[in-house]
Amino acid sequence: MIEELREVVGELLSELDGVLALRESSEGVAPHLFRSGDDLAELAIAPRYPMASVVDLLQDTDQDTKLGVVARGCDERALIELAKRQQVNLDNVRLIGIACSAEEAEECRCALPYPQDLLVGEKVEGVEDRLIAEHEALSREERLEFWKRQFAKCLKCYGCRNACPECFCEECVLEDEMWVQTGVLPLPFPSFHVIRAMHTVGKCVGCGECEQTCPADIPLTILYSLLRRDAKELFGYEAGGSIEDQPPLLVTLTEVPIRE
Amino acid sequence: MTEEFEPRIVAFLCNWCSYAGADNAGIARIPSPPNILPVRVMCSGRVSPEMVLRAFRAGADGVLVLGCHIGDCHYDSGNHRTAKRMPVLHRLLGYIGIEPERFRLDWVSAAEGNKFAQVTAEFTEAVRELGPAKQVMEL
Repeated sequence: MIEELREVVGELLSELDGVLALRESSEGVAPHLFRSGDDLAELAIAPRYPMASVVDLLQDTDQDTKLGVVARGCDERALIELAKRQQVNLDNVRLIGIACSAEEAEECRCALPYPQDLLVGEKVEGVEDRLIAEHEALSREERLEFWKRQFAKCLKCYGCRNACPECFCEECVLEDEMWVQTGVLPLPFPSFHVIRAMHTVGKCVGCGECEQTCPADIPLTILYSLLRRDAKELFGYEAGGSIEDQPPLLVTLTEVPIRE
Repeated sequence: MTEEFEPRIVAFLCNWCSYAGADNAGIARIPSPPNILPVRVMCSGRVSPEMVLRAFRAGADGVLVLGCHIGDCHYDSGNHRTAKRMPVLHRLLGYIGIEPERFRLDWVSAAEGNKFAQVTAEFTEAVRELGPAKQVMEL
């Protein structure tokens, strides 16, 4: 698969200004903007890296460069949501969709481990998140106890927010003393993570970066997955799906009605 | 002797409809529960999830959000925002183990003093049944 990807990237480099992908060097694996003439033997696939955030960063200074991006399912979805919020401009972006392996899908508990526009690799089935089923089996009292215990572990490092490809606000409510107290740990309940969860509605693409980053191992994606299901039930909306669908919470009831 | 539990309920009322609705109830001498602590906001769309959570954190036993009926918003579609995000917050509260019944969204026009009294009375009784939120928040 890696050989096929290198071939595709090599071909596309003749018509694009550069291709964003992972590069393996003696220092490790990191995102790199491959240009014509670069050694494509250094191009790597794993580990997973949130490419959407890199595109966002690159386009902050330059939206004219014709960019190729090696994108997994979650990267593609993240870019679609960012584009809907004018954070990236996909006109000059060519997605090079790659499929995740069954092992990767399992590790991420990913429901959709491939992009809509798949170029390299074979689709594998999505994985049902067993943590959701476990959560649903809990009583209300147990859920309360569960989340209080989880949230009490929070060090308030903001890693979940910083790693999130969909968190781009210049000013963040989580840094506002009005809503999240400073100098207090554990954080008063309910605040930080409940606020953050609300802010993921219609945006979270289920990439799991937040949870993977979390030094306290808080299973954040449980809440976000449940809210993704709600967005589908209430508004028929799937984040990262069709570029045509409008984010439900950003528009009126006339544009996207609520389904009772 | 134990004192009977009196719920404290924070009610976010939109300036144009529901606050006037509360006023209407007062002027018409329709009794409504004294448990309601009104917070006047210019539009129910101004009520962010953060505000609701902060009210709970500050000791509210229940939170009520009242706005203009859909179609009557002074700002045309401010309450559309309310209509969409509050049901999501309602579910989220349930996921983290807070009784969703402690939170209610409803629509009260400036002419509906009766409805204001009815909604606040119903909600106060529902929250009274649930007991103090303190036992949930400080578990």
